[in-house]
Amino acid sequence: MATTSADIEVFAGAPAAEPPRPRVLLVGAALASGAAAMLLLALVAVYTSMRADVIAGGERWLPEDANVQLSPGNMGMVTLLMSAVTVAWAVYSLRNDDRVHAYLAFGLSILLGIAYIPTVVYGWQQFGVGATSSTQALLIFTITGLHVAMAGVGLLFLAVMAFRALGGQLTGRAAEGAAAAALYWYVTVAVYGAVWYGITITK
Amino acid sequence: MTVTEAPRDVVEAPAGPAPSTPPTGLAAVVGSGDPRTVGKLFVGTSLLFLLMAGVVAVLVGFERVDLSGFEVVDSDVVRQLFTLQSTAAVFLGILPLLIGLATAVVPLQVGASTVAFPRASAAAYWTFLASGGVILAAYALDGGPFGNDGEAVALFVAAFIALLVALAVATVSVVTTVLTLRAPGMTLRRTPLFSWSMVVGGTVWLLTLPVLAAVMLLVYVDLRYGQQFLGGSDGVYDRIAWSFWQPTVYVFAVPALGIIADVVPVFARRRHHRHTTAMALIGLFGALAFGAWAQIGFSVDGQSDPTDWLYDGVWIAVGFLALVPVVGLLGLWAATLGRGRVRLGTPLILALFSGLLIGGGVAAGAVTVIEEANVLTTTWASGQELLMVLGTLVAAAAGLAFWAPKIYGKLLPDGLVRLGATLLTLGAGVAAVTYGIAGLYDQPRSIALDATAGVSEIDTVETLNLVAAVGLAVAVAGALAVAAALLAPKRGRAVADDPWEGHTLEWATTSPPPVGNFASLPGVTSEAPLYDARYAAASASASESAEASA
Repeated sequence: MATTSADIEVFAGAPAAEPPRPRVLLVGAALASGAAAMLLLALVAVYTSMRADVIAGGERWLPEDANVQLSPGNMGMVTLLMSAVTVAWAVYSLRNDDRVHAYLAFGLSILLGIAYIPTVVYGWQQFGVGATSSTQALLIFTITGLHVAMAGVGLLFLAVMAFRALGGQLTGRAAEGAAAAALYWYVTVAVYGAVWYGITITK
Repeated sequence: MTVTEAPRDVVEAPAGPAPSTPPTGLAAVVGSGDPRTVGKLFVGTSLLFLLMAGVVAVLVGFERVDLSGFEVVDSDVVRQLFTLQSTAAVFLGILPLLIGLATAVVPLQVGASTVAFPRASAAAYWTFLASGGVILAAYALDGGPFGNDGEAVALFVAAFIALLVALAVATVSVVTTVLTLRAPGMTLRRTPLFSWSMVVGGTVWLLTLPVLAAVMLLVYVDLRYGQQFLGGSDGVYDRIAWSFWQPTVYVFAVPALGIIADVVPVFARRRHHRHTTAMALIGLFGALAFGAWAQIGFSVDGQSDPTDWLYDGVWIAVGFLALVPVVGLLGLWAATLGRGRVRLGTPLILALFSGLLIGGGVAAGAVTVIEEANVLTTTWASGQELLMVLGTLVAAAAGLAFWAPKIYGKLLPDGLVRLGATLLTLGAGVAAVTYGIAGLYDQPRSIALDATAGVSEIDTVETLNLVAAVGLAVAVAGALAVAAALLAPKRGRAVADDPWEGHTLEWATTSPPPVGNFASLPGVTSEAPLYDARYAAASASASESAEASA
């Protein structure tokens, strides 16, 4: 619709629009993600330092009957890596106002995130000993359990942003919430990389 | 919970039924997300916790007067009280006090209408209050570190984790405010130094507090599931104590440097000398203060693990390097005062006291890294901690006196604040020096069942401990005076909007500020926009009168 001189007269006295709030949620999510990463990485650091001390003493780290299988850990890592790609796809689609692909990508991301949890639980079942059987088991269950909690928060964040996108609150020009959720999810995946390498690969 | 907060955008109210009356009284406080209200709640509650921690420190101090036995409280209780004094002073006192001050002041300094996450800040306060209460309840149930009731010790640990999460959430809100909600024209290099120090300190807190929370989580699962690889309740304090050693103890003092740096130029009536250099020095101090790596090691069997960082190159270097930014800042403040027209206002006096204590604390920290001095595990380190904690408290008092018109809508009574700060500084100095000397006589820092073990010159040490206990009591009296000053009623006319002739944006609004903080913002073209405006106006009027006389 063409702007008429009458319209200009009507808006002449109106105050200028305030600039949009810049990246508040994104920066807040970055700081919170950093703090969450420090929580998990500190536990991994404790695990690896204790393991190094035991091995340096010429002893075996994991108890005889404990069994850290590669398959569940690897499947978890691959699942999370795929979810990182789909999350990036969701944000990209949303920024390009491609809503159908954005919904599809959000749905896939949440599905893959949920699929990660059974891989951890399966790893616990295959571990062979209970969480309270040894210090090593307690550490492994604590670290992996806490990462599941971190992923749970990330899934909740993604779900909220997916619903906001469905509700039309996130658009190509205002996709900051989705970017914030994606950032948290990338950190969750990266932290799992450290957990996976520290526990599953090095055993 | 109903949450009220300052609106970010001013919009015309739509036609329709009249809005419901805003809540008043307790409902307004409980449901508030207004940063000034939340900040005041943080400040008031943390001062109460600090006073409690001070009284506990005095009790522990008097317990040390006779090293042959336990006179004031019994041996089980005194070890728990020993842990309570530091834990409460730092995590229930100093940190929330600084967060409260920042929550109230930082949005004003950067020209924002509110903090970035007002509801999160409010939730953080109530979590802080609840977890602080549970921590004290756990102590009352014989469940502090060294406690005999395992369930209560686990309760303490769980509440402590909740407290750390609350402090981290409140910190995220403040740091995000500075990083994203600055007024147009206010680049990061033009950010006021207190806000900048909150970015630096807050970022390092966000890297440090989760590490402490992770360790506490391990302690919790160890306690609950009977592995005892961290030593049970006797091992809990070992996992917290690194927060009170250098370099981590410095991280709590970072915002104190920012407060001093904002107060000094206003009372020197001059720009801060080399503002950007001051920012870099505060940043360097914050970076050096990251000390999560310097804690007691872990072992599978619960035996104490050798601390490979102790007297290692990095730890020694940090101990000495921390002096550089502090000495540099002291030099910049001296230059600012030396070139200005100094007004000896109460906030300046407090800021100078604080600089003295913090400088002393960092210098004492440099001595602890000298292996030959062998003072790390003695009361020398207690003295250093006292200097850092009470130095930061005095800086916070300076901040409260300085920003009281914006936070409380009044000026604090000068006499009471000066008296309080003098007693605090004097008491802290006396206690720190005497504990330091007692440390040179090998008095251990922690309270053991045999307190005389390893101590040389027991009579001398006992006399020093008596002086230290009296010093601590004087410091507590000082803190009480500062707290009483906050409660003093408003007197006389309403306080001026800018009673100190401030330099930064918070002084461009009314005292106290309206909802939304600013009706309009002045242009920001430097780190001291109000100083610029005042200087430009003075220059213009001088040239006009010169023209008129010509």
